[in-house]
Amino acid sequence: MPATLLVSFAFLPFLTADPAPSLLRSKARSRRLECEHISALTGSEQYPGQIIAPRPRGEFVDRTALVCTERILRPGLRNARDEAVLRDLDAQARELAVAATSTREDLADHTWVVETFYPGAQVAWKIAFAAKNALMAQGASVSDRVPMLAAGDIAVLTRMSPAEAYPAACKRYHELGSLGEGDALLAVVSRHPRETTLHAGLCVAGGWTWLR
Amino acid sequence: MSRIATIGLFLWGTLAPGYASASPIEDAQNAELERARAEIGDQVQLSVYDLIDELVYGWMQEPVFDSPTPVVLAGVTVPVGLGTGMQALVENHIGAVLAANPQTQIQLVHCPTCTATVVHSGPEGTVVSRGFDNPEVLDALGGSSGQHALFVDVEAEGTWLVLRARMTRLTPELPIVWSHTLASSIGTPALLREPGDLKSAEDARKEYLAALHRRGPILVPLRFAVRSYDRPDAFQGIGVAPPPFVWLQSGVEVGMSDARAWTASFLVGYSFVPQAYQGIMAQARVQRLLTGRSRSLTRPDLYVFAGGAVMSVWGAATASFQDTPLTTDLIITTLDGDPPRTAFGGLHIGLDLRVGHRVGFSAFLENLPSLGDNQNLGTYLQFVVPFQSLGTEVTLWF
Repeated sequence: MPATLLVSFAFLPFLTADPAPSLLRSKARSRRLECEHISALTGSEQYPGQIIAPRPRGEFVDRTALVCTERILRPGLRNARDEAVLRDLDAQARELAVAATSTREDLADHTWVVETFYPGAQVAWKIAFAAKNALMAQGASVSDRVPMLAAGDIAVLTRMSPAEAYPAACKRYHELGSLGEGDALLAVVSRHPRETTLHAGLCVAGGWTWLR
Repeated sequence: MSRIATIGLFLWGTLAPGYASASPIEDAQNAELERARAEIGDQVQLSVYDLIDELVYGWMQEPVFDSPTPVVLAGVTVPVGLGTGMQALVENHIGAVLAANPQTQIQLVHCPTCTATVVHSGPEGTVVSRGFDNPEVLDALGGSSGQHALFVDVEAEGTWLVLRARMTRLTPELPIVWSHTLASSIGTPALLREPGDLKSAEDARKEYLAALHRRGPILVPLRFAVRSYDRPDAFQGIGVAPPPFVWLQSGVEVGMSDARAWTASFLVGYSFVPQAYQGIMAQARVQRLLTGRSRSLTRPDLYVFAGGAVMSVWGAATASFQDTPLTTDLIITTLDGDPPRTAFGGLHIGLDLRVGHRVGFSAFLENLPSLGDNQNLGTYLQFVVPFQSLGTEVTLWF
């Protein structure tokens, strides 16, 4: 009997809510967690009922909370590259919009158009959506128009290296009138199949500039 | 748009034959993936509804348009990997909430040509696009040029669910007239707002907190319990098992916090069956929540518990608790004298299923250490110690 009790107590540390791998939590499940260390006060506001607020006159022990949340989509449910891009989409879109509007403050009266160059149409649509909303949040005037090229232009551009293709496409947009004098194109580009960072280029009056 | 369509057709043409000839293992993997996706879809659905409610509430407070304006629900996209079933649910919810709240000044209209793929050939070339991407063609087709198109996108970004919405005027310049982004952590409880009575997230949170705090840390349970005792095995004992005992118990149950992940209860009870037995008891118990980190306002909670009880019983039917094997002769000889009286203790462990901390059902096994050698009792389960008693309880909490 005492031996049984001792063995039971030995397992107690593994039964806690610690996010580390344990008897009840596999390594794969632990890896899915995103954890944040917050104060007890913040925790009590964000998770009422689960984290007790500190007493107004202080406590003997300085309590903090480690809040761990499982990522919504577990690894393997969607393409790894898509997952890497979508995981930080909001932050990346905001960064690109800030870079675009702050780099060229003279474009404040221009209408912004967004084009995305990403292999998957569904993710490309989401990147463009996020970039448009981020530009709107910066106070820019944004259009849903899609600048177009002729079929011949696309045939030529797809044979060029990326370093040459984007400036050439920008020039053609301007020459064809697809992008007018009052338009600015923010192109969000995925430049390499193994890269998860999104790049951005700016096309104004036929001139191309890499923002990032 | 035409480029995207071309890429899509190329990919479909390339991948479709491979998909058609998938092996049974691949089929099983795909089925497992679909099952996992459906499970996650169920989990995030309420959070998506919450974000839509928040979006519509924002329109009620600050309408985009001054007067009722026809708007085409041009596109709803859901997190990549969660399928089109969820898309239909989201579309339906947007329609339902907007219909229930006309003060948003948004009138959803149907426009099949807006979402259809249109082909337009002109001097500049042939353009393949969707209707709302090419308002001039839409106008030529007698569509809804000049109206507004609403696009809604929901995406799972790490632990956050992000909803983006934008409204575009369907004129040749396609200006975006309004846009908004909302985010919600998946760990946040769903607010469950009524479509016809939308309120701000702040007010909904206040209601949630009020519901959470309404019960307070101390509850008063009223419990009806039945303890039955196993018959002795033929080779182990020769006596007669006691009859089932019914107990009416009440006391207090204290939670460590509003989450009620850990609770402790202290109850006293009384048992009475005329001509058979009476009894009093005191019981202490500690419960641990198994389903989640905090009690739920919407779904049942399962607790595991352990505790101890001390019972004192007397009456003709309690003779079985005495050490002497109960025989017919013994029953006859004790009829005229004082009824037997016994006090004993028990340690129990069990499971408790509760709904809203109002109603609960529990079952437990009890070890009676002082009656270990009693030949009137059998053993339901032998695991480290013998469990001679099986109990079931129905509890109401006030």
